[in-house]
Amino acid sequence: MTFQKKRCVAMLLAGGQGSRLLVLTENTAKPAVPFGGKYRIIDFPLSNCVNSGIDTVGILTQYQPLELNEYIGNGQPWGLNRSHGGVQVLPPYARSKKSEWYKGTANAIYQNLAFISRYDPDNVLILSGDHIYRMDYAKMIRFHEEHDSDVTIAVRQVPIEEASRFGIMNTNPDGSIYEFEEKPKQPKSNNASMGIYVFKWSILKKFLTEDEENPDSENDFGKNVIPAILNAGHKLYAYDFEGYWKDVGTISSLWEANMDLLGTDPEFNLYGDGTAPIFARNYALPASYIDSHSRNIDCLISEGCEIYGTIRHSVVSTGCKVGKDTVIEDSVIMPNVVIEDGVILRNAIVGENCVVRSGAVVGGAFRDGQARQIAVIGKDHVIEVNQVVKPGEVI
Amino acid sequence: MKNVMGLVFANIYDSSLGQLTNKRTQASLPYGGRYRQIDFTLSNMANAGIRHICIVTQYNFQSLMNHIGSGEEWDLELAENGLEFITPYSMGESHTFRGKLDAIYTASASHLERSKEEYIILADAAVICSINLEEVVHAHIASGKDVTVVVKAGIANGEKQLDLGVKLDADGEIADMAVDFAASKDYLASMGMFIMRKDLLLSSARACVSHNRFRFEREFILQDWLDNKISVGAFECRHVALFNESPVEYFRNNLAIIRRVVRHDLYREGLPIYTKVRDQVPTYYGENSEVDDCIVADGCKLLGAASNSVLFRGVKLSTGASVKNCVVMSNCEIGIGAELEYCILDKDVKISAGKKLIGTMEHPVILNRGDVV
Repeated sequence: MTFQKKRCVAMLLAGGQGSRLLVLTENTAKPAVPFGGKYRIIDFPLSNCVNSGIDTVGILTQYQPLELNEYIGNGQPWGLNRSHGGVQVLPPYARSKKSEWYKGTANAIYQNLAFISRYDPDNVLILSGDHIYRMDYAKMIRFHEEHDSDVTIAVRQVPIEEASRFGIMNTNPDGSIYEFEEKPKQPKSNNASMGIYVFKWSILKKFLTEDEENPDSENDFGKNVIPAILNAGHKLYAYDFEGYWKDVGTISSLWEANMDLLGTDPEFNLYGDGTAPIFARNYALPASYIDSHSRNIDCLISEGCEIYGTIRHSVVSTGCKVGKDTVIEDSVIMPNVVIEDGVILRNAIVGENCVVRSGAVVGGAFRDGQARQIAVIGKDHVIEVNQVVKPGEVI
Repeated sequence: MKNVMGLVFANIYDSSLGQLTNKRTQASLPYGGRYRQIDFTLSNMANAGIRHICIVTQYNFQSLMNHIGSGEEWDLELAENGLEFITPYSMGESHTFRGKLDAIYTASASHLERSKEEYIILADAAVICSINLEEVVHAHIASGKDVTVVVKAGIANGEKQLDLGVKLDADGEIADMAVDFAASKDYLASMGMFIMRKDLLLSSARACVSHNRFRFEREFILQDWLDNKISVGAFECRHVALFNESPVEYFRNNLAIIRRVVRHDLYREGLPIYTKVRDQVPTYYGENSEVDDCIVADGCKLLGAASNSVLFRGVKLSTGASVKNCVVMSNCEIGIGAELEYCILDKDVKISAGKKLIGTMEHPVILNRGDVV
């Protein structure tokens, strides 16, 4: 088989355990966690690739890959079922001499250099599978090529008091990076790395090989590879991104990102301007039924639902049933959840396929000035009749 | 069910549906918020494990082809067989089919003879139902009859013109059969669905067409049954079956799925209805929206009031607008304070602010695709 040369190959890091998402990632890789009513987190970077004209994507999986593999399938929902390129799931595999798990982000790509080589790309785009955003990577790649950059790193401005939580790029006025600081105590600027990199293929190959040979390296892009390239005197540029972007690695950020979809003029508009749709695998479900007893106030409800209760400021995913006299507020209901009659749900995330029986109370309101406590119910759980799940409790 | 193929007629009632089928086949009429009528026919076949379906279509088939594509949604994108379109132009003989028999006859050499299936199910997209076709085929084979017609009770009322009506005797055998006839209540209406051996269909089509007989029900089924050339049995469908043969029936049957009994019988566990995927965002319900007893698809933005209506994908309902007893197809926009009652809005209709349109159940206001009011 011959392989067509590709200008850019995208490598999507989807192997993270996502342990800060607690029960939601117990049996699911973080990128496969449902989001926004009908999506999974990975739909965002994948759709961005397609909308940016990138048709060759490797997805690096490791932790709980079953559901993610199934979800990606042949890539048809994203138009990535191609004769040349398309989407490929790349798990760690046994080689003749040794086999090993992916040791770090850089090592994961290193172990798949052969996959990239087949397409002999000019550039390689490295992405994370756990960010919610809409971005035209083509613009970033054009910037990278115009500056004849060796590595271009997407950055966004964060409030300076939060800068010490991120990898910070200190740049010259022309955007070139002179220093990289991982989580600096005294940040010099507020250009936070978004974990999105464009590498010249030759540079990526060289430095990943060197990194692999260094026994002291943690094989991490941020900690090891980027500093090594910078120290070797190569040209690194920061690419400013101004749109909505959210790392949904924690329960509260996942909840917030869902809430950011609400309102008539939402923080993050899923529809956008209509030119860059977010694609998802769709299932055969009828349109939703909204009963006369229901009240839906400032909420998103997906297809395949039957709604008899009251839903306020919440996201209800595909295939859910919400019973009579049930009240759902400030919550995220993942796909195929059954909520029976007379349930009260506030500040909660309910995982896929859960059943919440009549009279149960999940989560609660919070007082001003207090931190919001999100109650979380993991996938496939049953909350019994009249059971109480306290605010912030995780089941 | 690898031994059964499907043959679907897409244009059967085009002429009786008026402006709704101006630019589409009856098969591609939108239904139930997110479907086209043919989705039910194809899903019934796909759910029964049928892996070879030919769709006969004569004109206006662009939207139909666009909707069905390669048939991948029904798992019909296969290395062998799968989905095929039969159009008169592809045969080079005549420019329109003179009847179902003509279509079968013209398609026989190219599509039907060489396929390996022993049985064939004929259907159209006029009747919306979820039916287990495996049961129908088993019943047909067990009956030993040459032809089985699937029928529905409660449709004949002495007024509605039936394509084919049958009257059963106490043993369930066909006592009488009538075509193009406003049969009385004791007749069962044909659902346009027939099962027989493929070789019988092909030889009959040849014999009929060579004698200038083109009409399937009248000149083959009825005629040959009267002449004792074929035996015909009836399979009674006990599930919901909605006949969409006129604009009023179409209107009434769209609103019918708001009723739980109808909805739950059309969308049954284990018998999914497949359709073409459109990547739409979930529907947004605004602060002051009031949506009661509605079927709502994805991609809508609802800021006003809607009751007892079907809202297809991407409908925009502005603040203060009110929609009652309406069928609103994809991407319609209803302006601030507009009031609609008993209307069918075809796709992409725009109703400007403050406009009022009121029809009745028997005479709904029907707006054409892209109309601006």
